[in-house]
Amino acid sequence: MATTVTSSTKKKTVRMNGCVASAQAAKYADVDVITAYPIRPYTATMMALAQMVANGELDAEYIVADSEHSQLSIAHGASSSGARVFTGSSGVGVQFAYELYSPISGSRMPVQMMIADRTLDPPGDFGSEHTDALSTRDMGWLMGWACDAQEAFDNHLMAYRIGEDPRVLLPQMVCQDGFFVSHITTDVELPDPGQVKEFLPPYKHPYPLDPRHPVSHGPQIMPEQGPPLQLERARAMEGSMAVIEQVHDEFAQIFGRKYDPWVEEFMTDGAEVVFFMQGGHAVTARFAIQHMRDEGVKVGLVRLRTIRPYPTDRVNQVLSKFKVVGVIETNMGLGSVSSGGSLYAEACAALYESPQHPLVISFMAGMGGEAIVLKEFYWMTKKMTEAQRRGKIEKRTHWVGFEE
Amino acid sequence: MPVIEVQRQALPILDSPNQGARFYNPDLPSSEPYVPGHRTCAGCGPAIQYRMTSKASGDNTILVGPTGCMYVANSSYLCTPYNVPWAHTQIGSAGSFTAGVAAAYEAMIRKGKWKGTFPNIICEAGDGSASDIGLGSISGALYRNHDCLIICYDNEQYANTGIQASSRTPYGAMTTFSPPGPKVPEAKTLYPKDLARMMAAGHPHCYVATASVGYPIDLMNKVRKGLNHRGAAYLMVYTPCQKGFVYETPRSIDLGRLVVECGLYPIWEWNPEKRAYDYSFRPQSMRPVSDYLKLQGRFGHLHAEHIANLQKFANEQWRMMGVELPEALIRAADAKNQVNMGAAAEAEAVAQTL
Repeated sequence: MATTVTSSTKKKTVRMNGCVASAQAAKYADVDVITAYPIRPYTATMMALAQMVANGELDAEYIVADSEHSQLSIAHGASSSGARVFTGSSGVGVQFAYELYSPISGSRMPVQMMIADRTLDPPGDFGSEHTDALSTRDMGWLMGWACDAQEAFDNHLMAYRIGEDPRVLLPQMVCQDGFFVSHITTDVELPDPGQVKEFLPPYKHPYPLDPRHPVSHGPQIMPEQGPPLQLERARAMEGSMAVIEQVHDEFAQIFGRKYDPWVEEFMTDGAEVVFFMQGGHAVTARFAIQHMRDEGVKVGLVRLRTIRPYPTDRVNQVLSKFKVVGVIETNMGLGSVSSGGSLYAEACAALYESPQHPLVISFMAGMGGEAIVLKEFYWMTKKMTEAQRRGKIEKRTHWVGFEE
Repeated sequence: MPVIEVQRQALPILDSPNQGARFYNPDLPSSEPYVPGHRTCAGCGPAIQYRMTSKASGDNTILVGPTGCMYVANSSYLCTPYNVPWAHTQIGSAGSFTAGVAAAYEAMIRKGKWKGTFPNIICEAGDGSASDIGLGSISGALYRNHDCLIICYDNEQYANTGIQASSRTPYGAMTTFSPPGPKVPEAKTLYPKDLARMMAAGHPHCYVATASVGYPIDLMNKVRKGLNHRGAAYLMVYTPCQKGFVYETPRSIDLGRLVVECGLYPIWEWNPEKRAYDYSFRPQSMRPVSDYLKLQGRFGHLHAEHIANLQKFANEQWRMMGVELPEALIRAADAKNQVNMGAAAEAEAVAQTL
């Protein structure tokens, strides 16, 4: 009993935005190497960490890199040497580092990268759009979106635990919407350091660059030596699913917050039409849904929490219960399956094996970082209920705000 | 939290009479961090450099290999010639990956997560990586002063991709991206980027030096000085490539001397404590550039005026080092006193086989 009392005294609730929550998570994870390069909006995370290092609250090498490409290379080198690494970026910064995503996952280094989304250029737009991180989704990184600062904090700790698990050894992109999460201040419960110690063991890579046990990382290969390596990486990604579930359970036991690792279902009981989406706009969606439920509209929300590995079976099982699924994209998939965003294809592919297909509509909403306001959720819901009544969709993709 | 002081190595400097040109030295360490069995070409300058460098560094070493010959030819088919830890990194990540390794060891030793003496962290970047695509990353590592040594093994071209011009390719050199032709008779029209000086000027707190495989002990001592220097060090080493330069395989070390003797590869050190260049290194003789050029097929197409241009360039290098020029070299900078390369036709035929 005494220990519980002691530990609970060190637990505290503090108001902070998503960026600071991410920085706090890195501090609780006792990272060894941090590497920063400025780009809005994620910069605030690195500003907070710089101050922690300057104050002596966190003992880490804080490296101001000369580019995002260098940031990710520094992270790769440090992780390869056995250090726990934290980095991050936004928008075109995520893309500048693109070359490194495959080498890092291919060498099985559990680098962690915080993303606060930003629309890609052109033109210079600070707003949140998920295209930056989503464009790297097939590079072998574990990836998922938080919808508020608390979830961002929790996701960082869980991602380290999952990625560093010897059964997984994969890098992680822990994403949050720029501004809607990164710069909105909410209450965040910071744990007792003892809880983190119990949950997250020190990073120990099985084959680091250590002069006492020489190893070679990343030698050249013949084409026929490629497939087994790719298969191993694919298996690691697939195998991570069991670890992800186990880690979410343990997290709930230690910290008392229970997340479904794959999807959050909100008011889906008795729902006939649902939104399928990722990230911070889900907070507005919950309000809109509550309001429409009061008016008798049978609408709900399925929020994807982890997109890599993609929970195909779970998405199938959940979404096939409904009549219409409205995918809110918040990303660009120019010339893609739906001529809208890339989430549509992910939803449809998961539903394909289901004998009962709901109708699926892609909504281009929140583009360029615009807020998705309540009346837009009502409008999208109307489109879904109309499709349900007619038994077919009007068209695959709607650009919300450009149509009657 | 307990902070542990980081212990660092101090490697002894070898006795080096004869400008370090002697091959045998009884004090040489017996350890071989870079062993035979790799797939580099016969007479490969970068490979010779690699062996000398890692020998000087010893077993408590971590090597970083950005893409280049010393990645592709060394680590073929999952076999590598390294007795010490080695990691490949991207060609543009030379300085940054190395910085990550150095930062990791600083933090891990300080926080008690790794026990031992700080390892020698060496990056072996080709001149394509060092002068072009990875320049920014190397500058970043030098600027931030990570405790590491970044070596540019300078074979004056992108060699493993099939001999293409880099910013280090000399004026007049033929590569597959700078072929000679009626409109461009001299082939490469640009002079090489003065990379090492750029590193010294921009990062004066770093130990910076140039070296050549023609002077093994001098090279090894510079490696050790760079490693002993607390902070970042940069070393640019002339490493001829018989495939790209088109010369007789056994002459790699000869070329390593001739290039210095003809003034095309000044050997110097930047002393970060004094903030001054040390130009005291002098080759045993001085020669006209043609003595060096005529051994290589890549210069076989040159006309008298081009050779004179290269002599002018070499003379400028000598003057920068404070050397008084003999009359013969001043005369050689006049095209009237030069002749076209006699082997032009022959060299072209060889070049076609590249």
